[in-house]
Amino acid sequence: MVFNSYTFILFFILLLVLHNLPFSWKTKKINLLLASYLFYALWNPPFILLLWLSTVVDYYMARLISVTEDKMRRRMWLAVSLVLNLGMLSYFKYGGFLLENFTALMASMGIAFQAVKPDIILPVGISFYTFVTLSYTIDVYRRKFAPEPSFLNFALFVTYFPHLVAGPIVRPEDLIPQFKEPRKATSYQMLWGLFLLSLGLFMKVVIADGWMAEPADFIFGLPFPVNPLDAWSAVLAFSAQIFCDFAGYSTCAIGVSLCLGFTLPENFRFPYAAIGFSDFWRRWHITLSTWLRDYLYIPLGGNRSGSFRTYINLMITMLLGGLWHGASWNFVIWGGLHGLFLCIERLIRGIPKKQKNTSLAEDLVIQATLIPIRSKNLSGFLLALFTLFLVNITWVFFRSPDFGSAMRMLLCMFGVITEGPKMLATPDMIKVAIVTVALFSTHWYMRDKSVKAVFSRFPWWLLGTIWSIMLILIILTQKSTSSFIYFQF
Amino acid sequence: METSDYKKAAWLALAIVLLFVAGWEIYWRNQGFALSFNDDESLWSHTRKKIYDIAPGQPVIIGSSRVKFDIDQETWEKETGYQPVQLALVGTSPRPILRDLANDPKFKGTVLVGITEGLFFSADGSFMEERAGKRLAFYPRWSLSQQASFHLNHILESNFIFLDEERFSLNSLLKRLPIESRPGVFVFPNFPMHMGYTTANRQEVFSDTFMADTAVQHGVQYVWSYLGMLGTKPGFSGDTLTNIISSVKESVDKIRARGGSVTFLRMPSSDPAWSAEKQSYPRELFWDRLLRETGAPGIHFTDYPELSKYVCPDWSHLSPADTKPFTKDLIRIIEEKNRVTLHKTSATPKIQ
Repeated sequence: MVFNSYTFILFFILLLVLHNLPFSWKTKKINLLLASYLFYALWNPPFILLLWLSTVVDYYMARLISVTEDKMRRRMWLAVSLVLNLGMLSYFKYGGFLLENFTALMASMGIAFQAVKPDIILPVGISFYTFVTLSYTIDVYRRKFAPEPSFLNFALFVTYFPHLVAGPIVRPEDLIPQFKEPRKATSYQMLWGLFLLSLGLFMKVVIADGWMAEPADFIFGLPFPVNPLDAWSAVLAFSAQIFCDFAGYSTCAIGVSLCLGFTLPENFRFPYAAIGFSDFWRRWHITLSTWLRDYLYIPLGGNRSGSFRTYINLMITMLLGGLWHGASWNFVIWGGLHGLFLCIERLIRGIPKKQKNTSLAEDLVIQATLIPIRSKNLSGFLLALFTLFLVNITWVFFRSPDFGSAMRMLLCMFGVITEGPKMLATPDMIKVAIVTVALFSTHWYMRDKSVKAVFSRFPWWLLGTIWSIMLILIILTQKSTSSFIYFQF
Repeated sequence: METSDYKKAAWLALAIVLLFVAGWEIYWRNQGFALSFNDDESLWSHTRKKIYDIAPGQPVIIGSSRVKFDIDQETWEKETGYQPVQLALVGTSPRPILRDLANDPKFKGTVLVGITEGLFFSADGSFMEERAGKRLAFYPRWSLSQQASFHLNHILESNFIFLDEERFSLNSLLKRLPIESRPGVFVFPNFPMHMGYTTANRQEVFSDTFMADTAVQHGVQYVWSYLGMLGTKPGFSGDTLTNIISSVKESVDKIRARGGSVTFLRMPSSDPAWSAEKQSYPRELFWDRLLRETGAPGIHFTDYPELSKYVCPDWSHLSPADTKPFTKDLIRIIEEKNRVTLHKTSATPKIQ
């Protein structure tokens, strides 16, 4: 089930009614758990078995780990959990990819090997719930906390529908404590939750699907080079599309959860105003970047084993982070580029800074810009623009169907191939330009603020008017059932 | 802001949205528009599901817009007792759908294939094929959630005119803004908003306004001209055509081997579209060869005075009034030509 569907509206209304009836807290949690299974099963019912398997095995492995003092046994129980979760992920997500590469490797060695192409369907959200359950067993192994005694609480933590298929990737400490005491949304939580749901749907339905998907899909789907302006428009359209799609999903998830009285962690913090790549990863898919930091980068040694090792650890983390997004070398390249930029940034930050005065050229830029920036912020503003430029370069690999298409697109963007035809109509280019400027301006303005703080300063009639405009645009756009991009990851 | 202020904001938003929706609906109704259903992936998949539950004489129709406009399903049902399963897709080649039916071992029915030469004889992997392929790819992935949404949406679409995505969605309205595009860019032209509507069973119908207003008819004719319908560029020949026909024959053979049948239909078109089509796709090189090499029967409108007496108001599709007698005659001709009955009451032998 997707948030942007009539089925979800009906499901959510019924669930809210059930959740606010005078049932016992245990009954309400059972309702939430059953509703979450229904939410998941309406995609592909058999895959619910995988979810159950992961839930049951991790619940019992964590208990076994906690009651055992013997190191070897503890490691063995942890290994069972890791093998099961990563095994399922590898089979369903990377099975075809591994086989394809193995076949290519054999062919390069002159060995004729032709395997039957596996017909594997990727279970929705497997990458997300695998990481959720893994963090639980690893943390219990590290004795960060005791295992959850209630199977119901644990199953609900894994399966809770708002985060189940596309995050935020919750940690046990984020959610399990909230299931221990009866919770019901206050009037404020309910209203703010509904507002966030509307905001998330606006980002997804109107901007991502309604305006940006068409130009991005069209140009990235062409098998020939295009005019440089069209290439840039497509990349900027995808840049806006993927942010509004994914951040829109997270905003919906947080809003929906708040209506039920539960708080989910923040997942995006205006990433397109990031100054540098370390800042970008503190703002983009925050729950994934912190997961990779805590369960991959730090265990690899982090920055504790010298500069060279730090760079290696950064690269390994980002390459695997890229591969987490999909079974394709393009995602690996995307992760590799982010890792490379992070390394370069780290290298530059290590160079002692020199005192610098504001130049005349900087003053001219300050006067010319439409966005209110102060002199001291100018270098930050320009760096944010430069970061966004590099982020867009990486999106080319993320979006292109293969390496050849990505390279062709880059050659078009940088004017190496200029003879490509003009493909996008003017209205599409205007839409892309407006959304790009609006998105960057909003991110820059909101860089150090929160949505809640900004909207709480608005008078009620202004908030009501903005809310109604978003809802009207959602109704008018009418793209009601398309899937979120991150479901495929 | 206090909680009470959030409540006030929510009530204000709700009031504005309800007022807007009511006003928007009333506005389009006052403009003379009728209810129209979105002919999207879900409606197609919903219809596709029906092919396993059909009577022997109940046909599955595939093709492009001509069979969607010209075969009046209501008349067909009145005449035969069965409603055909309409799987044709506007502006596409039916070959991928024919292949899909042929490769489905559970399908053993009667297929009527509408032939619009420019679309049917398009090369493998062409845009026309890709569009049909997208529907086929969607069908097995049509989730339970999407099916439930489809049924809920259907209730809303049955009551609100403004939910017609093709005409009244934000994107569609933005595309109609008079913004000149960059020179050299192909922009798909807009059909007049009053051209027609789609019924819940995927029937395309010209609107009353279209029939009454020649300016709207000229608007549609302009679109056909812009899309090259009047061009006389020769269709494919040589290996490409041979491969197209042999792939069709393969599909026909598979369906017939399971006891099903395939009949090709060439629906009417009028001058100047018909003149251009005759030049680009001479009958003996395309239609006759298709029938000869596949061994399947075919009904060409020019062979029957009762089918060729009509004038298409947009050069390509029949008027709603004409589709009724046309459909009656077509049923009779299919029955006579194939020596079968398509009527409910009889034990229906398979089309040979």
